[in-house]
Parts: sequence; structure tokens; C-alpha cells
Amino acid sequence: MDQFKQKFKEEATDLINDLEEALLLLEQNPNDKDIVERVFRAMHSLKGGGAMFGFDHVSEFTHHLETIYDLVREDKFLVSADLLTITLESVDHIKDLLFSDEITKEIENNHSVLITKLSTLATNDVGKAATPIENQDNTASTQKSFYVFFKPNPDVFENGTNPLYLLDELCELGESRIISHSENIPLLDDLKESNSYLYWEVIIVTDQELNAIGDVFLFVEDDCELEITQVAEGNLLADEKVIRYLADIEKESKVVDIQKLEREISKNKENKTEQGSKESTGTDTSVISSIRVASDKIDTLMNLVSELVTTQARLSLFTEQQEDAELDAIGENIQKLSRQLRDNAFSISLIPLQSIITRFQRLVRDLSNGLGKKINFKTEGTETELDKTIIENLTDPILHIIRTSIDHGIEDVQTRINSGKPEEGTILLRSFYSGTNVFIQIIDDGKGLDHEKIRQKAIEKNLISESTQLSKKEVFDLIFMAGFSTAKEVTDVSGRGVGMDVVKRKISAIRGDVEVDSEPGEGTTITIKLPLTLSIIDGLLVRVGVTDFIVPLSAVQKIYAVNKSEIIDNYTHTVVLDEKQTPFHNMREFFTIDKEMPDTVQVLVVTYEEQSVGIVVDYVVGEYQAVIKPLGKHYKDQEFISGATILGDGSVALVLDTNKIIKQSAEEV
Amino acid sequence: MKKRILIVDDSESIREVLSFTLENAGYDVLAGVDGEDAQKYLNGEPIALVITDLHMPNKDGIGFIKDVRAHEDYKRVPILFLTTESQTAKKMEAKSAGATGWIVKPFVPQKLLAAINKVVR
Amino acid sequence: MEEQINTNIKSYLSFKLGEEVFAAGVKNVLNILEMVKITEVPKAPDYMKGVINLRGAVLPVIDTRIKFGMEESEFTKDTCIVVCEVDQDGEEVKVGAIVDAVKEVIEIDDKDILPPPGIGNKYKSEFITGVIHLDEQFILKLDMNKVFSTDELVMLQNNQNETNNE
Repeated sequence: MDQFKQKFKEEATDLINDLEEALLLLEQNPNDKDIVERVFRAMHSLKGGGAMFGFDHVSEFTHHLETIYDLVREDKFLVSADLLTITLESVDHIKDLLFSDEITKEIENNHSVLITKLSTLATNDVGKAATPIENQDNTASTQKSFYVFFKPNPDVFENGTNPLYLLDELCELGESRIISHSENIPLLDDLKESNSYLYWEVIIVTDQELNAIGDVFLFVEDDCELEITQVAEGNLLADEKVIRYLADIEKESKVVDIQKLEREISKNKENKTEQGSKESTGTDTSVISSIRVASDKIDTLMNLVSELVTTQARLSLFTEQQEDAELDAIGENIQKLSRQLRDNAFSISLIPLQSIITRFQRLVRDLSNGLGKKINFKTEGTETELDKTIIENLTDPILHIIRTSIDHGIEDVQTRINSGKPEEGTILLRSFYSGTNVFIQIIDDGKGLDHEKIRQKAIEKNLISESTQLSKKEVFDLIFMAGFSTAKEVTDVSGRGVGMDVVKRKISAIRGDVEVDSEPGEGTTITIKLPLTLSIIDGLLVRVGVTDFIVPLSAVQKIYAVNKSEIIDNYTHTVVLDEKQTPFHNMREFFTIDKEMPDTVQVLVVTYEEQSVGIVVDYVVGEYQAVIKPLGKHYKDQEFISGATILGDGSVALVLDTNKIIKQSAEEV
Repeated sequence: MKKRILIVDDSESIREVLSFTLENAGYDVLAGVDGEDAQKYLNGEPIALVITDLHMPNKDGIGFIKDVRAHEDYKRVPILFLTTESQTAKKMEAKSAGATGWIVKPFVPQKLLAAINKVVR
Repeated sequence: MEEQINTNIKSYLSFKLGEEVFAAGVKNVLNILEMVKITEVPKAPDYMKGVINLRGAVLPVIDTRIKFGMEESEFTKDTCIVVCEVDQDGEEVKVGAIVDAVKEVIEIDDKDILPPPGIGNKYKSEFITGVIHLDEQFILKLDMNKVFSTDELVMLQNNQNETNNE
């Protein structure tokens, strides 16, 4: 069972994330029925799974939540800020219940507090008992005798039902006496072999309730004539008179006369069948069903796919030479398949930034409420996809940055009004690709960083000396130094002993870079720059000398063909393109490749520091979807190459970082 | 020969717990992730029982139940569907599509086997 | 001296560079490839020959002859790439080494490995961990981790002909 528990925990994590996300959405659109439905569904699945996999406390607790949201669904309960706050607290509690190693006193207390809150909420607002209790089964178990009349409809077999199984099951409940009635069987000519013609009468003695007998026929109650009556307390079949009576009836093909039976015995009680548990409505429609895979399996898959693509490219080459129509067709098919497989495999290892956004939304909501600040958290470009491991390692640093921004960046409402800003502050998280990097920015419109204060503090902390001359950027970089953050500013929020130095370290660990920019009074922008490792980019395959290079397509604005005379021995290093003077960098020069240049070369125009700059290559081969692979430590000094990719023929092309090339090339000139 | 049960559910954990319970009860288990995926098992090989979820992407349980019933080889195969709903509407829909009965989620192994007992012996 | 006297037999791959024969512990060797097209990486040191596709991954390739201060390799049909896994600052790094020819796998008892000659040796002793005398031939045993380090300053040959005090 343990492996299921583990699996359920994983599923529960998704459900909880989904739930949180939906709740935050609900806060924005309290009347949106679809969101309520989504909230309910997630709760319902948590409850169901919890019960099934032995997390009874989770199930029981979620049941309280579900009850309220059931009322919300039926418009009997309004979505209020209170409700959402309690719900979000409850979600946290569910996490505790699921993932804590032990249930501490604190969690226990929390449990009862929250249940009380939820119950009160439910009672107050609608005057309804909050928690319907599950099946009550407290009847003493004594033997009773029942009479059952069971006559299936003729077409009962069509749904795959076998009435005999049901009789078997019925008899398992206790001691029984069955009378079969075959008098309805027609003559052979009229008999339809797919129809059922039999019916039965059963006297059953059992300690079960009438419900349990009804349950036997649960699946067929609409497809048969069914009558279940309790005819006596005690064991009717122990009565000889009854036995004799039944035997007679069977002989004469008559039907049991209940009245007659009843006369023998005491009174009849309830006679209505009722159905089992109060299962609430709610669907389990998940939009995408998913499975979990260890990430090393994905790595292996990726490598195998790359190998397959390589082999396939060789096969293509070979089939071309063979001029065999059948082989051609097979080759083409394999090409198609391997391309699909490649796209598929790549998409597996990438996940959108969106997947971690909920935690940030939640943080903003909780903290701003706590600090009495109004903050609008916006996102842009969260569809940007990153490798799974990078995403995982990004969450904490971004959480910390946002936390700091809320705590120190965004001012309280009054201060904002006084300084003529909208009372609601904004934190924008945006993400985009640029060149071979992914950028994630956290931008706030708060009070910004005080450049002089940072300097002073750094001097105080002996990080720099009084006389150190620093540029604005260098001053800002000080906040990433270990030992800059101090106990002095430890608050509830951004304290906790971690500073921006930890952010920097964690981002460096995934080969990223972090920078800060700020205008006093206007806000702060923190930019995280990440390499596109293990990522796919749309690239432009170009050639310089004998070497293939990939330039990220996103970096390229335009491509021009230019005569080599305009490039060679051009000491101004500018060329006129579309009547504009454009500075250029010749890759042959930069790479010191001294072979003969083709007569016509091509200039890729890219944007560098908001200017158009040309990059001269021999020629452009075409577009190429490149899987970027790391070049490894041996080439760590070749910073202008951000990775490599395997081409169709199995050879390697190098991926260029145009920004770094231009920077370095400009320095060399 | 062991009886084969086809289970169809989009939740991996449900599939696993079903398989585990059924295999321990001595059945062979075939598993499909949705109505579309499970089609591949409707190949004429004997199936003793179908257990399907109702809410699934691609092809839902109702659609799949209809497919099974429409198949010459599986006209009489018992079909149980998994449901969390007490609403009779959904049950009726599934029954009129040809289902034999249902299993209410959450279920414990005994409950599951009890439901199966009603339709397969 | 790091070599101890015991009966510990280990396997080594021997290969040729020029007239010299070297040996690398097989535990460092992953496989041996025929020469393939190498993509040159611009602005890299001479001995960093470029990169190749090793079953979907990118493998840096070192021209061992240049690294060892010999003349640049001229590729023949015997030239091949020995794929090694070396330890680099606690991280396993794969690297391909171009050698003139791979000879054989030999099994040598630790006690048959002689200490590296100290004085007058052509190669820096920190890279040569021992000398194996086999079939009238001296085979130099290499410390692969050091030889294929990413540190581009490391050159194998003892250019200054300085005296190493072992």
C-alpha cells in the first residue's frame, strides 16, 4: 500500500497546487461558477483519495471544506474574503497533514481550530448544520428474517448482469431458502435465448439490515421487479411450519403469501429501501492526465532521441544513394516518426514558469494582507518554458526576491498616496527569451534602492572602504554580497537570516546571473538571467570557414547579402544596410579563420544594447531547431559560445551568444 | 486460466490500486488511461469484466461503455464504472449506455471485490 | 612514493604517441572511437581540438600530442579517440583524447610498476605516476585526472628541463 500512498501524495501535491491556484482566481472572480467547480473538484479528489489511501484525517478535514463549497456551488453560500482566508489556511493545513513526518501538537490544535472555524462559518451564514455525518450504522446486530421477491426484466442479460450471481451474493448474507419460478419459460419456439424468464422468491435470515439486502440488487433495481420486506425478528427458517409452507408452495408453483407468513410472526417494520452513503456530486475530470517519471529517465530518453535523430539522418543519406523506392518510403516514415518523437521528448523535459506562479501569488496575497499593503501581482510571459530542474531551483530565490520587494520595496498605502503614487503597488513578474538566455524579471514600483545608503552600509560592514569608487551598478551589486543583509532589518517577512547573497548563490548554482537596477522613488527591477541549457531554440544555421554555428533566431532581425569587398579591410567596421550605417563584427576576424572568404557574405543584423549591429558570416544554411547541450568545463573560457547542438548528419554545431560576441569583439578592436 | 479484467482510468494511482487489488485477487489486469487508449484491448481476446472511470479526457466512460457494448465479442461482458456521484442521473446514463453496475469511490479493496462479485464469479 | 608493494593487479590501456607508449588505467577509459569530424571551437587553446558528438552528448576532444608538447597529430587510419572519464574538482568530466594508436589492454601488478624516474626525465613527474617495464619497452603510466584537467596552463613536457626533487 505504501507505494500507492507515495503516488497519492504526489497527486495530492498537484491537487493542492491546483486548488490554491483556483482559490486565488476565485478571489478575483468570486462569482465564477467554473472556478468554484474547479475548487470543489480538487477538494473532492483530495477527500476521496485521502480516504482511499489511508489519510483519514485529510479526508475528514477536507470533507468540511467540501461541504461549504458544495453550498457555494448551489448558491447557498457566498464567497467572501473570510471564507477564502480560512480556505487557504485550510489548504496549508492539509499540506501539513499530508507531508509532516509527525502530527505535532501544533498541527493538532490547528486542526480543531480550523474545523471549528469552518463549521461556524457554515452555520452562521446559512443556518445549516455544517457537517452531515457519514453513514450511521449503530443498530444492534440481531437476526431478522426477510422476504425477497426478485424478477429480472427479460433483457437483464444485455447489461452483462447475471441474476444467479446476485442470488449467490444474497445467500452469502445468511441462511436462506430459495424458491425458483420457471413457469414463465415459453415453449421452445417462442424462447429467445438472450432473455431471462425466471424469477425467485427468497427467505433470508441475516443479521444485516434491509439496506444490505437492497445493496445486493443495487445494480439491477431498475431492471427488475424487486420487493424486500422484513417479515420477522429472529430466524423464520427455524420454524418448521414455515419450512413446510415453503415446500408446498414450491411444489405447487405458487407464490408466497406474505400476509400469511406475517401472521405467524410479529409486525413488519420499515419497508423502504434506502441507498447507501451520501456521496456528493463532483467530477474527476482532469484536463490532462499525467504520470511521473524520474528525471534521469528523461535524460536518458533525450540522449537516446538525439542518437536516433543522428542515426536517422545517416539513414536518409544512405537511402538517397540507394534509389530504392521502397527504402525511400521507409526512410521517410522513420524521419517523420523520429521528428515527432524528438519534439515529444523535448516537450517532456520542459515545463512552463506558470507551474510555480501560484506560490508567488499566494505569498503576495498573504504578506500584503499581513503588512496592510495593497499589492497587485501581475505576470507576463509565464508560458516561457524552462528545464524542470532549473524551475525547481528557481522557486526559492524568486520567493525571496518577492518577499523582499513586498517588505522593503512597496510602501504602505498612506506613504504611496503622499508621494502621489497609486495606492495599490504593483509587482510584475515577467519572463522572456533573449538570445540564448531566459530572463526573469521581478519589477516593483516601490520606493527603490537608496544608492548612498547601500554604500554607507557596505562601508559599515567593512565590505568596501570609504575611498572605494563604485559605479551605480557596482553599488547595487553590493546587496548580493554575503554579510550585507543584517539582523538590523530582520522583520517577520524578509528576515529569516537569508539575504540576497543566498539568492545570488542559488542562481549561480544553476549557471544563472542576477542583477539589480533601481530608481529611488520609482521602484526596483531584479533580473535573473538563465542559460538555455537543455533547451531547444529556433536557430539559424550559419557557416564560418568550415565550422557550423547556430545563432538564435530570436536575436536576428534581418539578413543581408553583402559583397566581401565591403567587409574586408574596412577599418570603420561599418556597412550601409537599408541606408543605415551599421557597425559590424566579422566572425572570420573574431575567430581568426584566415581561409579565403566567399565573394558574397551575409550579415545578420541583431540587437545589441538597443542598437542594430551586424554579424558577418560566410553564409546562412537555413533554419534549424537546435537542442542546446553544454559544451563542458574544458571550454568554460569560450563564453561567447553558449552550447552546442548535434546536426542531422551527426556533426556538432556551436551555438553563439551574440551579445557576448559583440561585447568581446568590440573590446578586441 | 486467470480471468482478465480491463480497467480504464486516467488517474495513475487509481489504476495502480485497482491493479494491485485485482491481481492479488487472482485476476489478470489490462489497464487503459482513457476510453480512447483502452480501445486497443477490444481485440476479441476474452475479457471477464470491464471497470471504467466515467470522467476521462479523450473519450469518457460513457462513450467507452457504448463502444464495448457495440463490439460483437463484448456484448455481454459485465461493465462496472467508477463514480463518486450519488446522483442517479449519471448512473442512469451509464446504465442506459450498457453498464452493469458501479463502484463508488473511494473504495477499499473489500468493497471493490464485493462489487465485482456481483457480476463475475 | 605512492606505490605500495602488494599483489594488486590492475588493467591498463596502452597507447602510442609518437614513439612513446603510455598507459591509462582502464577504469578511466569508457570507450575508443574511430576518428570523426571534429568541430573546432574558436579561440580555444591549440590542444583543445574541438568537440564531437558522443551518442548525442557533446564531448570535448584534446590533441594529446600537443598537450604533451609533441608535434600536432597527423591523422592516420590508426588514430583514434580514447574517451576517458576524469575527476575534475570532484565532478566526473568526460573528455576524448586523440592518440596515434591504441595498443592493448595489459594487466600489471602494482609491484611491477617502478617509481617514475626523477631526474632528467622528459615529462613532469606529477603526471607520470610510474613506469612499467614490459617486453623490452618502457611504458609511462599516466595520472589521467591531472593530464586531462581543464586547466589550460598544464603542459606535460618539462620544458625548462628543471630538476625535480622527488
